[in-house]
Amino acid sequence: MIIPPFTKTYGRRTVLRTPQLTFDPGKIYVLIGPNGSGKSTFARITAGVLDPDEKNGKHVSDGVIRYMPQKSYPFRMSVRRNIMLSGGDPERAEELIRRLNLTAIEQQKISSLSGGETARMALVRVLMKPCDLLILDEPTSAMDMESAMISEQLITEYRNLYGSAVLLVTHDLSQARRLADEVLFFQEGELYEYGPAEKLLYHPQKEITRRFLEFYGSLAK
Amino acid sequence: MQKSLSLNLSAALMLCVLTGCSSSPAAPSAEPDKPETPAAEPAAETAPAETGTVNTVILKEADDKMINTYTLLAVNPESPFTDADGNPVDGVEVNTAGAEALIDWFLSEEGKELAAAFGQEEFGDSLFYLLDGAPVFEGEITPATEETAQIRLSTTTSVNDSGLLGALLPVFESKYGYKVEVQSAGTGKAIAAAKYGNADLIFVHAKAQEETFVQDGFAYVLPGFDTERLSFLYNYFVLCGPTEDPAGVKDMDSVLVAFKTIAENKYPFISRGDGSGTHTKELSLWPEDLGITAEADSYADYTDWYISANAGMGACLVMAEEMHAYILTDKATFLTFQANNGN
Amino acid sequence: MLGAFITAWELIISGDRELINILIVTAKTCLTSSLIALLIGVPLGIWLGTTRFKGKHVFIVLARTLMGMPPVVAGLLMYMLFSGVGPFGKLKLLFTVTIMVIAQVILITPLVIANLETYVSPISQQIYETAFGLGLGRRRTFVLLYNECVYPIFSTYLLAFSRAIAEVGAVSMVGGAIAWKTNVMTTAIMLYTNRGSFTLGIALGMILIALSLLVNIAVTMMQRRLSA
Repeated sequence: MIIPPFTKTYGRRTVLRTPQLTFDPGKIYVLIGPNGSGKSTFARITAGVLDPDEKNGKHVSDGVIRYMPQKSYPFRMSVRRNIMLSGGDPERAEELIRRLNLTAIEQQKISSLSGGETARMALVRVLMKPCDLLILDEPTSAMDMESAMISEQLITEYRNLYGSAVLLVTHDLSQARRLADEVLFFQEGELYEYGPAEKLLYHPQKEITRRFLEFYGSLAK
Repeated sequence: MQKSLSLNLSAALMLCVLTGCSSSPAAPSAEPDKPETPAAEPAAETAPAETGTVNTVILKEADDKMINTYTLLAVNPESPFTDADGNPVDGVEVNTAGAEALIDWFLSEEGKELAAAFGQEEFGDSLFYLLDGAPVFEGEITPATEETAQIRLSTTTSVNDSGLLGALLPVFESKYGYKVEVQSAGTGKAIAAAKYGNADLIFVHAKAQEETFVQDGFAYVLPGFDTERLSFLYNYFVLCGPTEDPAGVKDMDSVLVAFKTIAENKYPFISRGDGSGTHTKELSLWPEDLGITAEADSYADYTDWYISANAGMGACLVMAEEMHAYILTDKATFLTFQANNGN
Repeated sequence: MLGAFITAWELIISGDRELINILIVTAKTCLTSSLIALLIGVPLGIWLGTTRFKGKHVFIVLARTLMGMPPVVAGLLMYMLFSGVGPFGKLKLLFTVTIMVIAQVILITPLVIANLETYVSPISQQIYETAFGLGLGRRRTFVLLYNECVYPIFSTYLLAFSRAIAEVGAVSMVGGAIAWKTNVMTTAIMLYTNRGSFTLGIALGMILIALSLLVNIAVTMMQRRLSA
């Protein structure tokens, strides 16, 4: 899937400028970078929920995209109905619910869910149907360690099952190391450095990338 | 319950003794229930349940200076109606036939008799008297047609609150097939309603404002009468005050002396202060050298005794009761207030 | 106060004809006006909360300002417009329940709009992104958004109804408090107060509050049921 180059400007401030990018099927692309570097903006524009600057034209993707925003909305209905919103195989729902430990609260009112439970529900919901490009904006940031690990497994399995390209925004460098085929490092609205995971995460070309990795790497192992 | 009832009766008895018992307004519990209006019924029923008794009494009444004349005016269909910006407006609809029928009936023998008798039953005293030489209607009253059935009568709150129209209009309506819609407001708004084309006749008691209304061309002379202003009823404002009457106004010859004494000795006095007919009358009763007018500046030096309440009659009566103050009021409101034991 | 309570009770059980008429006119006026305000205000509020366009803030500021409009001013405005000499005098609506409803709709619709806008605004983007990300169509997204608003719609309705049933300025101005026709609870209370019948005024006030309580209980029960 080819994403054309675009820019995003708020007022006079350009918050994002990216070159043309290609996402190959079956690969997991992980977006890293400090807060406000443009990762989420890039994910939203790619997903099509945010328009880039007018001169770029409206972004229309040539494949099916499924997207889970950073604050995926828990609709006022049961967990089960939330998960089945976009349809999909009930048996698959059953399995995902079981694996992410949601069985006990399946029929519960959404307002009674904790932040972690809501995040698990949201991930199951987006994983219900196949797509060409799956975009996940920090899907595990509200989860405990165990749920995060299971989630990573489910994301990998999804990729293997449907052969989708996956775009994952994360703050967790260890998660990036576990999942990434390719890494895109954002810095001040620019795609600063990108390349295969083993190269960029362990031997970055640029000084700023190295400093970022060292700093966050030492915080989150 | 038994105890509070007897207590209340004895209190009422004491009040009768104190006031010389000229009339007996403090014994409403002796009246049988009259479920005509909700106002009448609880007035009779709640009195024994209350424990308070009104201390404020009528001290001066039937003084010519306090006379209050009631006038009917038919709205002229050819009135110089204007909109809010003063531009002339044509084709404003006025139910002249309906207004004429109602005025004719008010001035007929039946209407006058009923008006003069009003109040006898509830308060044992007439609230309105027939004016000597009032215009008379002796012809046939035109019954309603589909176009003329709905009559819009604009009047002042005190007229409406007295219950007079509630007692009279049903007789007229059932006999001639009309439906009278009574809107009540302060004198100013009641007259303005007619000027805005929202009334077919007005029933007011403010001579100066009536004359302006006529001069401006909003009224006209109905067939069979010789004037626009058809004054036919009158009554008196009453000067009320605490039973103790520290100013001793009860024994004074004239209400003007009473007002002068109240001002000179700075006995508290409650003024409506709202530009109502009662307020206008009160302003005319103060000694001229005090210079009290409707303007706030005019009584700025008298605030230690002259209280401008800017409120309705009922609220002002409660205030007078609380402050043991003197007050000018229409009789009907005072009698209702008294019957309700000041609540 | 006890006297007023007894009076209120006696009025209710005696089935006083005038009181019943006042109650019917009150219910007719306030239920109609609050429902119409809801029908107009909810779509407008949701629309304002979901769309972005230049000058949107003007609308929102306007709605929020009109929320504070004194009832008597709304009444006065309608009075001038529908007077015999006014531009709509020919419709002969002054001193009818219809014009009272219109005045109240003008009074309470801004409240509904502003309330819904405030509720929808912060969640609409989130809902849109989530639904879009799941491949849901526009209509489906819209239904989901409405479904999210069920709870605030009920609360807003109660607010609108309360303002309608409690206000006296507008209904007395355009309705004229005509007995058997346009006299509602609040105007009746005013009349009795001016007349010095305070006990009766308080009795009616108690009945009004009881009425309000009943509507509140009914709507709250419906709200709990529908938003479970």
